[in-house]
Amino acid sequence: MSTEETKVPEGILCSNTHEWVLEEGSFCTIGLTDYAIEQLGDVVFVELPEIGSEFAKNEVFATIESVKAASEIYMPVGGKVIEVNEELINSPEIINEDPYEKGWLIKIEPGNLADDSVGLLEYEDYKEEVA
Amino acid sequence: MDKKTFLYEEQEKLNAKLIPFAGWLMPVSYKGIIEEHNAVRNNVGLFDVSHMGEVFIYGKDSLAFLQKLVPQNIAKLKKNCAIYCQLTNKKGGIIDDLIIYKLDEPNKEYLLIVNASRIAEDLNWMVRNSLGFDVNIINDSHNFSLLAIQGPNASKLLDKLGMKKDSQPQYFSIKRGEIKNINVLVARTGYTGEDGFEILVKNDYSAYLWDKILDEGKEFDIMPIGLGARDTLRLEAALHLYGNDLDETTTPVEAGLGWSVAKDKDEDYNGKDIIMGQLRGEIKKTKKLIGFVMEDKIPARHGYEVYFENKKIGIVTSGGPSPVLKKNIGLAYLYTDNETSLNTLEKTIGTTVQIMIRNKLYNAQIVKKPFIEKKCKKENL
Repeated sequence: MSTEETKVPEGILCSNTHEWVLEEGSFCTIGLTDYAIEQLGDVVFVELPEIGSEFAKNEVFATIESVKAASEIYMPVGGKVIEVNEELINSPEIINEDPYEKGWLIKIEPGNLADDSVGLLEYEDYKEEVA
Repeated sequence: MDKKTFLYEEQEKLNAKLIPFAGWLMPVSYKGIIEEHNAVRNNVGLFDVSHMGEVFIYGKDSLAFLQKLVPQNIAKLKKNCAIYCQLTNKKGGIIDDLIIYKLDEPNKEYLLIVNASRIAEDLNWMVRNSLGFDVNIINDSHNFSLLAIQGPNASKLLDKLGMKKDSQPQYFSIKRGEIKNINVLVARTGYTGEDGFEILVKNDYSAYLWDKILDEGKEFDIMPIGLGARDTLRLEAALHLYGNDLDETTTPVEAGLGWSVAKDKDEDYNGKDIIMGQLRGEIKKTKKLIGFVMEDKIPARHGYEVYFENKKIGIVTSGGPSPVLKKNIGLAYLYTDNETSLNTLEKTIGTTVQIMIRNKLYNAQIVKKPFIEKKCKKENL
């Protein structure tokens, strides 16, 4: 579960509740930062939303269970869910191993990315300020 | 401000994740809860449990005093032996659960090891009950550190540390001895369901001893273990956690601890009428502790509601993943006044109930406790 070798994708923006979002053309990918995963410890269960459901920025869209507790995960930007990472249902430990590539949570069609991105931090700044 | 144990610096060196717990800053994990859990099940692990309380009892009436406090029969406790019991209130509710060790040393006739979160309540209760008894109650918690080594290789490790196998205490016994020239009390007790020892040492020597144990334990791939794995280990062994599974409104009989209530004790103790009445079936238990396994991969947690035939019938008191079974397990109280067919069942084991998790019901099967086979031998009393 060491994240020392974690490669952080360029261009991600992070929220102060430890979610990251990456704009990839028409859609955005959302996940949890390596710092958050490190704090959670071994992830044992991931509850993801239904495809097609819509969430506003800061709304709870998923729950991640570590050995010790359940944690709610918030939308860094609002939008409509177009894909969820099904791999996590059977192998939640992927999040610990690779929080940015294989361990992504959902892909969304953003509502208003420009407005919602206000207040999000670039990874380096996030590391300095929050983590 | 949370207190730090005398091992705080050692834990920082090991990059422990520290959290506030019962007024202390304690390590929740070092390398990861599951890895630590498996180290204890397969090899050996070292715990800092210095937050626990140590209370010495002595005086002319010490035995009579303890007899008034707990449902166990302390008169039967032999020198250098230990017994698990509860401090009960007048209604039979549990003020704390603890282990009493009989030392028979000057000013140290009995040693009580109690929960960190309950030291103040315990002392208050003991003092209130001491009226008319010639007894001394000494809270020595601040002078001692408590280290636990637990796991199938614990005995071999202690042997390597200088306490040879044939001089080690038997299960649920305690012995004074030396480890690396340091005076210690070694008890063969623990909170993991594994064979193991708890070592009581004066604060000044605890860091030295901690380092020595980790050093000599390398041969057995020893790992330092945090409170996170301590919780998953005790849950697999279905050992109760005070504040979760036990409280002042729960009797030992309701908690499934009837085995720790003496059937042949003449002396009166706090709550005896209710506890013995429940044990004999003359007084109805208001609830009953059961163990369950979730059908799905989702963990049930403390405070979640239990349902049967669409009625709320109970509440989860402890729950989470079992690293050994690779399933989610838990303990729950079922209310005995629930109006469902569950109450007419003679045996509930094997019955499927539902647990409400984030507004959805998930199936759980009632199973026998403990969830895994305990490796430590039965109490020798």
